[in-house]
Amino acid sequence: MNAPLKALNEMQRLTSPFPESVIVKEWRAKGRKAIGWFNPYIPEEIIHAAGMLPFEVTGDNEPVEMQGAEAHIYSNSCSKIRTCWQLGLDGKYDFLDGYVSTHMCDQDMRLYEVWSYYKKLPFMEIIYAPRKRDEETVKLYQTDLEGFRARLSQYLICRIPDQRVADSIKVYNRGRELMQKLYELRKGDRPPVTGAEAVEVSKAAARMPRERFNELMEQLLEEIKRTGREIKKTRRLMLIGNDLHNTTLIAALESTDAVVVVDEMDIGIRRAWGQVDTKLPPMEALARHYVMGRPVDKHTWNSDERLTFIGDLAEQYKVDGVVSQAVRFCTYLGWDKFDLRKHLQERNIPILELDLEYGHPGGAQMRIRAEAFLEMLESRAASPAAT
Amino acid sequence: MSSDKMLSVEDIRGTLKKMKEGVKKQPGLMKSTYRYLDAVSGYVERIATAHDEGKWVATHGTQQPLEILEAMDVRGVFNEFWGVVSDIARLESVPEAMSVSASLGTPGEVCSFFRNMDGLMHAGKWPKSDMFLYAASCCDNVKSFHTLGRRYGIPSFGLDRSFTPYTTHAMEFWKNEYKRLIAFLEEQTGKKMDYDRLKEVVAKSYRLTELHLEIDKLVANVPCPLSPECFSATLVAIRCWPGTQYGIDFLTEVRDELKERVDKGIGATKNERFRVLWSSFTPFFDPTLMGFMQEKYGAVSVADMLSTWRVDENVEANWMLDPDDPLGNLAYRTVLAPGNCQYSTGVDVATVLADKSRRFKVDAAIFQNNWGCKTGAGYGPVIKDELMRQAKVPTLTLHTDILDHTFISRADIESQMDSFFEMVESSEAYQERREVA
Repeated sequence: MNAPLKALNEMQRLTSPFPESVIVKEWRAKGRKAIGWFNPYIPEEIIHAAGMLPFEVTGDNEPVEMQGAEAHIYSNSCSKIRTCWQLGLDGKYDFLDGYVSTHMCDQDMRLYEVWSYYKKLPFMEIIYAPRKRDEETVKLYQTDLEGFRARLSQYLICRIPDQRVADSIKVYNRGRELMQKLYELRKGDRPPVTGAEAVEVSKAAARMPRERFNELMEQLLEEIKRTGREIKKTRRLMLIGNDLHNTTLIAALESTDAVVVVDEMDIGIRRAWGQVDTKLPPMEALARHYVMGRPVDKHTWNSDERLTFIGDLAEQYKVDGVVSQAVRFCTYLGWDKFDLRKHLQERNIPILELDLEYGHPGGAQMRIRAEAFLEMLESRAASPAAT
Repeated sequence: MSSDKMLSVEDIRGTLKKMKEGVKKQPGLMKSTYRYLDAVSGYVERIATAHDEGKWVATHGTQQPLEILEAMDVRGVFNEFWGVVSDIARLESVPEAMSVSASLGTPGEVCSFFRNMDGLMHAGKWPKSDMFLYAASCCDNVKSFHTLGRRYGIPSFGLDRSFTPYTTHAMEFWKNEYKRLIAFLEEQTGKKMDYDRLKEVVAKSYRLTELHLEIDKLVANVPCPLSPECFSATLVAIRCWPGTQYGIDFLTEVRDELKERVDKGIGATKNERFRVLWSSFTPFFDPTLMGFMQEKYGAVSVADMLSTWRVDENVEANWMLDPDDPLGNLAYRTVLAPGNCQYSTGVDVATVLADKSRRFKVDAAIFQNNWGCKTGAGYGPVIKDELMRQAKVPTLTLHTDILDHTFISRADIESQMDSFFEMVESSEAYQERREVA
């Protein structure tokens, strides 16, 4: 049993209680504003450049009881949307001065709308999110980003000049670089952190000022180096699909003789991925990074590269199996299911498919399926010729 | 996995022909009913014979500039409408196709328009398609076109667009996407676009819009002259026959009959007690439901969201901005066209529908919360609240599946409608409307 990571503990202390945490209260106590964002196509850098705290609107490690949300969003929609709206209704997000989203997914768009209609915040914005990756969509997206910056400036009665955006890009690039280092370390035979811990790190990145996060991230990497921390598990897993903010589910998977060494989630590897080009004009650089600079995600119509990316990543991280989870009603993942299974089968990578409700912990049923999957991986390892 | 009940193109052709003959002998129907079925049947016929006639077939989703396809001899199979046609021909086909889709791992929460396509394709019963075309709409399922294209080796092209489609840069982007679509079609067919022909097609499409709006004005009369058997005539014309002389002739005939009925004071029913707006979809899963409502409650379907043009205060078609710029006109047409109004906020959709409710003197709305529709699940309550606030129109929310008749029973619907119409009748707004009438 490894000792807890002090830097991670500090991240968790600062970002607790969820969502209006110690650090949010500190921030607000100085008279500063916070903007909620809900979509991986919102560049936090622009909010940061405006001197505001970008805060990702999500659920957390406890399932949320629906007590009213379904009066505004019917239950045949994704439970992440309903969870977030329930938290909004419960007043948990009352510390936000604004909310920004994109129309990347029908449900993201409708959450924005419900928020705007039933509980309007002083600043509300929705922008275009490309479903194709090419020069034309980069330009259209950049136009919308410019509009977003202009309206945020108008709200603040304060310009957000290019130089400020460029400075913020540097801060966020540093954060990505540090998170990527952690991913690199997890490629080793004995990863230094569990999958649940890695997601906790990633969650913290979107819930506190990025400068503070970067400091703690540096401490975390130094702590890992100094202590030689290793997770000693036999089987290596990859976790793909929807964002999981309840890490108890990942911890339940890892309560077996397995560790999650890599993921394919927006909250995970995509958040850590790549660098915004600092040689380009900053707004163009942001548009390029957010459209073209990250691995293809589930929202993109042409998901060929997503499937390839998952397969490649699984091989690079030498995983024994892939756990593919989907929150019910996620249309995008639904359409990738068939071809994903086929793609991984062709690469001889076993896959466990789980359908979940967002925010729910790994219950007994999931645990039984995970254990059966692990047993199958064991038998494959014992007789590789049979695979 | 059985595929006995799933309908092939030939099955649908045969069934529709028989239905057409059947309505000739049926008394009490609008004269246009035969023509309506002919339009549905003719659409299927065009698809079935396309390859023999040297044309191409494109399976496509919503928000397509079908005039471009028409001008390039590409015949469209609108995937959503194909599900509706299946329900018209045989209700058992869709549930079976969806069970095949489930066997492939496609989740049951996906919209049944798409699960139906998935299942029929796997069973080899979908119309043979040369390409897939799709566009950003309010539906994430359009991703399926690329997915299925990859699976079956069919090339595909998607049109992306801004979330705020009325800005200059968004319209320019959309128009440019049409140019890219034309380039894709030219590559697939080996033909060059004839822009003079496109202008002619666009002009015909504009005429179709004018006819649609003329029909709307007639349908708004009390009593409503449009019977349930022809309720979807305008929708079929606009979605299946845009830019064609056939479409113009079809709607001209419907308009003339409606005009005659209005002049003679003939209504869909002798006892028009409630005028109903379908604020999302019409009940495709149960083609007899509108007739049933009319008979049992005197509830006449007068309007729906899917065939709603975004019109100006004079209720005029206004998308022909420059006859020499067919792509610019089409780009504008698409954002004003029926069905596109969903690609917007619920408040905006409700505002369009509230305006329509006032013009059509609507007493009650029915919102079908289609199980697979995340848009409906998200904006249904907003539309319901806004329709009440803006137009004092109450809404019954029915939790249904757009195509699958097994999802909800008639008895369940009937029981909900019993209490709903009773409530409407006793409401103050209804009493006021009746006093004014």
